[in-house]
Amino acid sequence: MTASALLPLLVAGPLVGAFVATGLTRPAARRALGLLVSAAVLAGSVLLVMATRDGQVVVAQVAGWPGGIAIPFAADPLSALMVLVASLLVTTCLAFAAATGDDLDRWFVPLALVLSGGVYGAFVTADLFNLFVLVEVALIPSYVLLTAGGRPEQVRAGRIYLTVNLLGSTILLAGIALLYGVTGSVNLGELAGAAADSNAAALAAGVVLVAFGVKAALVPAHGWLPATYPSAPPAVTALFSGLLTKIGVYAIFRVYAVVFDGDARLSSVLLVVFLATMVVGVLGALGEGRMRSILVFHMISQVGYILLGLSFFGVLGVTAGIFYFLHNTVVKASLLLTAGAVETTHGTDRLDRLGGLARREPLLAVAFFAAAVSLAGLPPFSGFVAKLVLVRAAFAEQAYLAGGLAVVVSLFTLLSMMKIWNGVFWGEPPDQPPAEPAVEVPRIPRSLVWPGVVLAGVSLAVGLGAELVLGLSQTAAEGLVDPSDYVDAVSGR
Amino acid sequence: MLAASAAAPLLARRLGRDTGFVLAGVFTLVLGVLLARSPDVVYGGTLDYAQPWIPTLDVALRLRLDGLSLLFVVLILGVGALIVAYCARYLNPDTSHGRLFGLLTLFATSMLGLVLSADVVLLFVFWEATTLSSFFLIGGQGTTGAKPATRALLTTGGGGLALLAGLIMIAVTVGSTDLNVILSDPQLIRDSELAWPIGACIILAAFTKSAQFPFHFWLPDAMVAITPVSAYLHAATMVKAGIYLLLRFSPPFAGEPAWTATLVVVGLFTCVMGALFALQQHDLKALLAYSTVSQLGLLVALVGVGTPAALATAALHLFAHALFKATLFMLVGIVDREAGSRDIRELSGLRHLMPVTATLTGLAALSMAGIPPFLGFISKEEAFYAFLGLEGPPWVGALAAFTAVSGAALTFAYGFRILAGAFGGPVLQPDLYEPRRSFLAPAAVPAVMGLGLGVGVGLLNPLIDRTVLDTRLVEGSFDLALWHGFTPALGLSAVTITVGFLLFLRRAAVDRTLPRLRLPVTGVGAFDRGYERALRLGSLVGRPALDPSLTAHLPWPLLALVALGVTGLLSGTGLGPPPAPLSRDGDWLLLAVLALSVLGLAVTRSQMAAVTLLGTVGFIVAGWFLLAGAPDLALTQLLVEILTVVVAVLVLRRLPGAFRAGRRRRTGGAAVLAGLSGVAAGLGTWALTGRRERSPAGDFLLEQSEPLTGGTNVVNTVLVDFRGMDTWGEVTVLAVAVIGLLSLLRRTTDRAPAEAGPGPGPAGGADNAVVLRVTRAVLVPVILLFSLYLLLRGHDDPGGGFIAALVGGAAVALDQLPRGRPAVPRWLRPDRLIAVGVLVAGAAGLLGYLDGAFLRPLKTELPGLGSVSSSLVFDVGVYLAVLGLVVAALDRLAVGRSRDDAPVTAGDRS
Amino acid sequence: MTAAVAVAVLVTGGVFLVLQRGLVRVTLGFILLGHAANVLLLAAGGMARREAPLVGRVDLPEASDPLPQAFALTAIVITFGITVYLFGLAGAGADAEPDDEPDPEVLP
Repeated sequence: MTASALLPLLVAGPLVGAFVATGLTRPAARRALGLLVSAAVLAGSVLLVMATRDGQVVVAQVAGWPGGIAIPFAADPLSALMVLVASLLVTTCLAFAAATGDDLDRWFVPLALVLSGGVYGAFVTADLFNLFVLVEVALIPSYVLLTAGGRPEQVRAGRIYLTVNLLGSTILLAGIALLYGVTGSVNLGELAGAAADSNAAALAAGVVLVAFGVKAALVPAHGWLPATYPSAPPAVTALFSGLLTKIGVYAIFRVYAVVFDGDARLSSVLLVVFLATMVVGVLGALGEGRMRSILVFHMISQVGYILLGLSFFGVLGVTAGIFYFLHNTVVKASLLLTAGAVETTHGTDRLDRLGGLARREPLLAVAFFAAAVSLAGLPPFSGFVAKLVLVRAAFAEQAYLAGGLAVVVSLFTLLSMMKIWNGVFWGEPPDQPPAEPAVEVPRIPRSLVWPGVVLAGVSLAVGLGAELVLGLSQTAAEGLVDPSDYVDAVSGR
Repeated sequence: MLAASAAAPLLARRLGRDTGFVLAGVFTLVLGVLLARSPDVVYGGTLDYAQPWIPTLDVALRLRLDGLSLLFVVLILGVGALIVAYCARYLNPDTSHGRLFGLLTLFATSMLGLVLSADVVLLFVFWEATTLSSFFLIGGQGTTGAKPATRALLTTGGGGLALLAGLIMIAVTVGSTDLNVILSDPQLIRDSELAWPIGACIILAAFTKSAQFPFHFWLPDAMVAITPVSAYLHAATMVKAGIYLLLRFSPPFAGEPAWTATLVVVGLFTCVMGALFALQQHDLKALLAYSTVSQLGLLVALVGVGTPAALATAALHLFAHALFKATLFMLVGIVDREAGSRDIRELSGLRHLMPVTATLTGLAALSMAGIPPFLGFISKEEAFYAFLGLEGPPWVGALAAFTAVSGAALTFAYGFRILAGAFGGPVLQPDLYEPRRSFLAPAAVPAVMGLGLGVGVGLLNPLIDRTVLDTRLVEGSFDLALWHGFTPALGLSAVTITVGFLLFLRRAAVDRTLPRLRLPVTGVGAFDRGYERALRLGSLVGRPALDPSLTAHLPWPLLALVALGVTGLLSGTGLGPPPAPLSRDGDWLLLAVLALSVLGLAVTRSQMAAVTLLGTVGFIVAGWFLLAGAPDLALTQLLVEILTVVVAVLVLRRLPGAFRAGRRRRTGGAAVLAGLSGVAAGLGTWALTGRRERSPAGDFLLEQSEPLTGGTNVVNTVLVDFRGMDTWGEVTVLAVAVIGLLSLLRRTTDRAPAEAGPGPGPAGGADNAVVLRVTRAVLVPVILLFSLYLLLRGHDDPGGGFIAALVGGAAVALDQLPRGRPAVPRWLRPDRLIAVGVLVAGAAGLLGYLDGAFLRPLKTELPGLGSVSSSLVFDVGVYLAVLGLVVAALDRLAVGRSRDDAPVTAGDRS
Repeated sequence: MTAAVAVAVLVTGGVFLVLQRGLVRVTLGFILLGHAANVLLLAAGGMARREAPLVGRVDLPEASDPLPQAFALTAIVITFGITVYLFGLAGAGADAEPDDEPDPEVLP
């Protein structure tokens, strides 16, 4: 069987695995199945990346119908990279959930697998309506995972999360409908360039972009993210961070590149939105007092960075955006996992209730620090290369304000990371109330620590050996700036 | 060198503090290797090394050794060797110091890399590496060091970011990141429109790193670090990185008035200010810190002057300063160790107890004060000469020189203050003794060199020449000697010594007046206030997002859509009119009823009314679908509507009786937004739909669906044959919704008590029950059969998996209705249903691989049934899953609590 | 034209309800918005052709576009699933909104 025929298995595998897992009664069996499936996808994605590294597109017309009728699954270099990073994330987070015990719940592994299947599918589908369906497939387990535990604050957060995303999904559906109304197709291959040629199509596709903007938490529709994500269990927040908002970001990349063909008329509006997102996100992070809240606000800011690269629609800019995307997924997850390890063991992630952990947990501290400065863009980590490419792209396009803001915002990012560092890892441990007997807080178990460490290590490796990932990103960027290969493959020509 | 930093902690574990000696040896070795190659360098050559790193960005690991780098290399490695050797005796013998040695070595490596890199990106990498390693060196264990380290990090990090911006601008302007290329044509940068921003960024970076006003505060603050760290970082190397940067980028900028003015003014101001502050200090280490700030100011100013003479002097003074400052720090550390204090008010008369220490301190202090025949004197005098030669109007040079003299005089004063304070006066602590030779030795070396090189300064001539060449690209030969004759510079030196001595003699008076000169703000205070304000701004920005009410979040997407609609109105769509009329007369009637129902639904406060109106709206929409030619859709809508109403009723029974009213303003706002959104949506629909012929895909499906799949209900074939992936996804969504219900309603405790007694069915007498039971016995199987029929015929006629399952669900509901307490039979477990459903559908999809692709339908001939397609299996899967949802909804929502009343345990079955 | 009005009416009502207090009314609002999307889908197929897409039974040029119908069907089912879950959430006590405004009238 050829590689292309196996593409649908990216979705089918996890979904089948998920529902088989619902029938398994032993948590260990479910855990094993989850890890197995995710690792299999990870391996497959590596093969996929290798198969697309020169710009080829692996395409499968699902069910074998002709192009334009069938739902196409197409993996170009960008999609392959997305799946790779997503599966890496899922595997690591499942391992982390195994360590925290979150996966003892009967539904955790099935839900996580369904979520992952929807995400992988969203990255490879080239049919907009199918994208909508797969987004729902990914979203609805997240609704359930967010409220798992049933605490009042979780249920409240779930309410906001569900309604905002439902609104976004409805808008997406409406946008797809309008686009179909104008063009008569929902196939990305046939829609290529439609919005650049026709005002009507541009408006319809604009609705689609708004929907994805909501899902990606762009300003001004960003508030739901920090209002909801921190209430989930730590393993769940980490899982979400790399998957759900990223679908929105990926979709914006894809739609803007293919349907709008990088239309420059949009770029000033986009630029303003992305810059605002960067700034608002980091400022919000400064004001928070809980590790996860700070990190979640950063997610908003980082999405601004990623998309900033897209708004400079040349090879360098889009390369910057893609590289930043990959780097950010890894680093953000690492930070959330590390914070989650602390929160799980110490029971809180509030800065004013923690302190002095660097001495007790050196490995964890190093992992956190590495990921933190990577996020702020300091060498020799991946964040530095990401920022370097981004600012360079900005200056090459003479967008000095944007580049300058990117630099200033990273200073504030550093500031907020230092806030966490000083509050949690340095400084004195908080005083014990004298009335209570001295409670011996246990050391954080290894199994909780190493997922974050592994991802931080990836960031370092990518930073040092940046050429590999950067080269792949550049190939992917070329495929976006000139999507003719993709379009041909998808339309079945 | 990198290997050394990795190995250092391990070594330290074995050797304890003696690791210092080993490391000193390593440093010296590396220095030796480089020095061995140096004659080439000094006389005009360079040593190069290049290795590609990120070809995509044209960034490579390029290293280059030229005169300027050589100067710094000597400093970094030479002083470094001395410092680590010093550590061997300074540190506590009992505790482990692996971290410290590792960090020190890492830091030295970073500095080395910084001065050797010939690629701007690499330069930045090492620059930040020094920032990071110094962060940990200052921070120590994270208690007292935390705040100063953070301030240092943020300040120098901020400068670092400016550097990044500047370097990238340079790279973009010149088109390369290779330093050789960049510096070979300085005119390119000067002429570009970015010249000012680039210069500003470089200056900013240098000022933060080298602690110039107003970024000076972090340096004295960082004195919480242990003395060897202070000596190395803050006296000899890290702070000099800024000077290096200025020197390295002198070719494009030196001589530009803005550059010169900024550097000279700020530098000299810092020089005087720093010296003043130094004079006020009682803590020797703090005094030395401010002294460093002051001396750096002098250096900055010299670089700013930019003439070859000035640059030569800068290089020389760099060297001299490193020598005497390192010594002084080390000796202060020794005194601190031996006498237990660094406060000159507590120390006294140490010259009697530690004569060697005193002598060495004297040597260094005299060099610092600028007394012949020390190296410090030569560099000071050259400095005066350089200032006098400042380009521009004549008074500029004189002013600069005057300021420099003041600074120097103050330096003299505090130099003697050190000597007198600690070593002069009567003996207060008679128990002290001279430290060991091995402790003193590292400090002795630079002190003596200060004297020796002062006399034999000619040795340095070639190196200085070469350095100037590198920085100014101008040949020059500088005759450095102790005696140049009676020059004005000599006169200025004499003035300096005199004034300084006077200040020293009158030090009591000075001590009284100086405190009145304190500035109202301290740098640290300003920084902290800025930090707090930033945090507060952050909370302000973040607060709206955290609003837990929905109305804070939902309007935004809608507003975006309205904006889009306005854009559309203004720009037009460019689509032609509809090819055929879109509306029919019957539509309007339906619309009228719809509008009324929607209005009623929106404003009603009664729950029952709401539910009824909901159903009405649903039916009208189903009718609309029928009118539009979508029978399957209409059927589905109808059934879904019925079930939704049932679910709504079940849920509403548990909630308060009526909807709560909102505030008028809120309702008004909602109405406005609703109206705007509605108009926008309507406009969009009108403008963007119905204006083309049927789509090619639609045509294809209508024509080809029967030949390709054997079915005549095209919509159904689309769902199960052509776009099976969509349907499978949707089934999964349903299944997960079930999981959600199962997990949610098991965990949350109910507020309402369990409803005992009759359910929504009629509570009646015995005859009612009989009628109901008979009806049930007859109707339910009939409905079930009907649902199966719908399933089988779906491929060809309206029907199909969904509709069939919804009907089947109705049968189940009907079955439960008469019972007092609806209870779905145990064997009809929703979790099994959905799992089997999804898996069956998936299996059908996998079967498709037999024909080459996932979800490809297979056809076989079955006896008696005719042609059967695997899409039927798929549809069965759909059926089961939808049935599962219905069952779950009835089960979980209808009862007061879950059927299993057992407490929740992990891994519980439902 | 009528489709546009229908969509406008449904969206107005839906948005209004979505912005109200109480998860139940919000759910009702989303149901209306879902209806709007489905009407829009059918309109996108072209309201000029209104025969049911059943091969052999109807005149093909007059048949309505089957693709948006399939889309709408899928969307209805998905929305139904989410709606049921939303109602479940409402019933589980998620209805409590922070009471920052005193209730002017609470009916028993």
